[in-house]
Amino acid sequence: MSDTPPSTGRPQRLGLLCRVKARAICNHAAQALNDAPLRISASAILIAVIWLGIYAMFYTVFHQLRRTPLEATVAIPLVFNFFFAAMLVLLTFSNAIIAYAALFQKNESAYLLTSPLIPLDLVTLKYLESLLISSWALVLLGIPLMLSLAGQVESQSFYWLFLAFFLAFIPIPGAVGMLGAWAVARYFPRRVLSTVVGVAAVLIALLAVWGIRSMQFKDAGIEVWLRSFQDRMGFVQSALLPNAWVGAGIDYALNGHFHEAAMYLCVTLANALFLSWLAVMFVAKNFDTAFDRASSERGAGFRVACPASGGIAGLAFFYLPPPLRLIAAKDLRTFLRDPLQWSQLVILFGLLVLYLSNMPTLRTQLAGQGWFLLIPFLNLCAISLILATFTCRFVFPLVSLEGRKLWLIALLPVPPGRILVAKFAFAMTVTLLVALTAMAFAVVALELGLVWTVIHLAVTIAICFGLCGFAVGIGARLPMFGESNAARIANGIGGTTNLLASVALVGAVLTAVGVATWRSRFLPDDVLPEPRALVICCCAVTTSIACGLAALERGAQHLNGIEV
Amino acid sequence: MVTDCAAEELAIALTGVSKSYGRRSAVRNLTLEILRGEIFAFLGPNGAGKTTTIKMIVGLLKPNAGTVEVCGHSVGSNGVAAKAQIAYVPDQPFLYEKLTGREFLYFVAEMYGLSVQRRDEVLQELIRRLDIGEYIDHMTESYSHGMKQKVVLAAALLHEPKVLVVDEPMVGLDPRTIRAAKKLFVELARRGGTVFMSTHILEIAEAVADRIGIINEGELISIGTLAQLRARAQREHSLEEIFLGLTESLNV
Repeated sequence: MSDTPPSTGRPQRLGLLCRVKARAICNHAAQALNDAPLRISASAILIAVIWLGIYAMFYTVFHQLRRTPLEATVAIPLVFNFFFAAMLVLLTFSNAIIAYAALFQKNESAYLLTSPLIPLDLVTLKYLESLLISSWALVLLGIPLMLSLAGQVESQSFYWLFLAFFLAFIPIPGAVGMLGAWAVARYFPRRVLSTVVGVAAVLIALLAVWGIRSMQFKDAGIEVWLRSFQDRMGFVQSALLPNAWVGAGIDYALNGHFHEAAMYLCVTLANALFLSWLAVMFVAKNFDTAFDRASSERGAGFRVACPASGGIAGLAFFYLPPPLRLIAAKDLRTFLRDPLQWSQLVILFGLLVLYLSNMPTLRTQLAGQGWFLLIPFLNLCAISLILATFTCRFVFPLVSLEGRKLWLIALLPVPPGRILVAKFAFAMTVTLLVALTAMAFAVVALELGLVWTVIHLAVTIAICFGLCGFAVGIGARLPMFGESNAARIANGIGGTTNLLASVALVGAVLTAVGVATWRSRFLPDDVLPEPRALVICCCAVTTSIACGLAALERGAQHLNGIEV
Repeated sequence: MVTDCAAEELAIALTGVSKSYGRRSAVRNLTLEILRGEIFAFLGPNGAGKTTTIKMIVGLLKPNAGTVEVCGHSVGSNGVAAKAQIAYVPDQPFLYEKLTGREFLYFVAEMYGLSVQRRDEVLQELIRRLDIGEYIDHMTESYSHGMKQKVVLAAALLHEPKVLVVDEPMVGLDPRTIRAAKKLFVELARRGGTVFMSTHILEIAEAVADRIGIINEGELISIGTLAQLRARAQREHSLEEIFLGLTESLNV
């Protein structure tokens, strides 16, 4: 047996962990390029299109704003303040969730803790990982925003300055999130979900109060509303908040005050480094107690399901025959008991409803100018894209997740393809409930006339039908029965196909509705649109439903032919 | 206190250890001493406290009361030194899915400070004996449970630990590998290492264990060699009969 004492040098271990992670990422990338070049190419093209679209949109907005000095002075700093304030909240939550899972739930942490690794190395590694995972989307979406602004200024150095602001900002919510994750593990290990839901509920309640206050300006002119909005956003501009430093720094940079911009960059960076150091050292020092609490309390007792969720699940599908009703009820119970699924839907649609409640009634300003119908159309676009996100991530994997229980499905007294009816019924119930609620809220907020209300509700139902049909049908046609991780199923070749098909369907339907809206822009919204516009809308609705049915049919045929 | 595993006889020492999950007591006042060069089998029904005890030995859980020492190092206050002596094979094997088996084993070797030459020598031997050469250069995500278990076992033995803690080590292994693993455990013990093994397969405990401990509802109800357990039962029972007799009579 070797008597050589093992090395315990800290830098070697952290470097080793980073090298292993880098190796795993390289292997993953090589595997993806080798196994699914089409998927990688499609994703790259899609990201490039989205990226260019965002760049073009922001470039146009900033160009227009800078043409009018007053709006530029007021709006641009406000936009950045608000953007970074929202990012501060979202990234803090995102980092807290990722850090909690990485530190206290994953088998990797348990494995590394049994090795001669000091907690500081593990915590540092997980901190860096959570920063990367949580902030890549911000960087991806934020860079075109920053570049579009930098494009308004002639100096090339702005590009680097703006990127530096991004990189300096990201660790701040990361550090706060990691401290939050530690606190939840240490003090609320048995109530992780209720703690997160409680904090989210308080935030949403505050936003709701703020939103209700803004309703008093709904009949005011656009300028009054904008100024009242700026007043209400005053708290975001507090000098102690990081978003205010970044917003001020960008504003100074934009106006050519390099020294002031550099000072705000240094303030942001210094705070980011200090907070990172504080969070990592504190969590590392107190890690073992939190890990023990999180591990011990998870085993403290059996989890009890809310009895109401069973009742709801049973009643919701009364119209289905018994075996299918059981499958649909099982899916609904799983959905209601999985916070990952329902919380994402609630957050996405909650933010949408909040946005709608804050939207001033533009009816008086825009009626007669040909722009009024644009607002409900944009709402329809937002709802459709959120629905597509939900169906691709959560509905598509439903059939694949039955893979290990396929023998059970095969024993049911119905053809295997018929289970798609249950999956479809579940998906339609959930998506229709939230989509119609959001759309009803939008038409009431905008005081939309009966004709366009009916058109928007019909299109919403048709899009729900088409997207659910695609997700269930393609999910059955291109399943991954061996995989038990829903995220991986959604990212597979079938998931990518479903994503592309869903985007194409939503794009086609919305283009048709957009054309009809454009043709009717000078008509009062309670008057029937011209026949051609109506026909276009009817075609869009029919096409969406037909596509959904066709996908379901193909999926059922494939499932009937599978040998268990 | 024991200061050096090589000089003293105790490899693992649990003194008055208790652990609760909320209100549920998992382990109660457990005192256990495992000697250097010993293979110890830890038996008990499901939920008896075996895995909780193992997790306290390897430092994943902190006892509510009592102390745990490995080779004289307190797991609570000097965890890094204690863990440097331990290798742990959990019941659910962990591997980085996007690494090959070889890359994972290299990572473990470097983690424990093995020289490249020593690593290659030991690894070659383990690959041969555990019969993992065919897939060692494939990504671990494609491994079956048994394949993963074998690679994890190789990783545990790679740095020649002084204390090997294994939780249900034979689940998913084929008979040939079970025989190879048993032989590796015996060889490790002959070289002065200690094996602490939790298992439900009583034949394996009967075949390789020097001493056997039986835990039920968090309490150690019997400990000793197979002969001592038989003597206490006052009949020539098999281990299975002794185990069932002890745990059932207490449960009744």
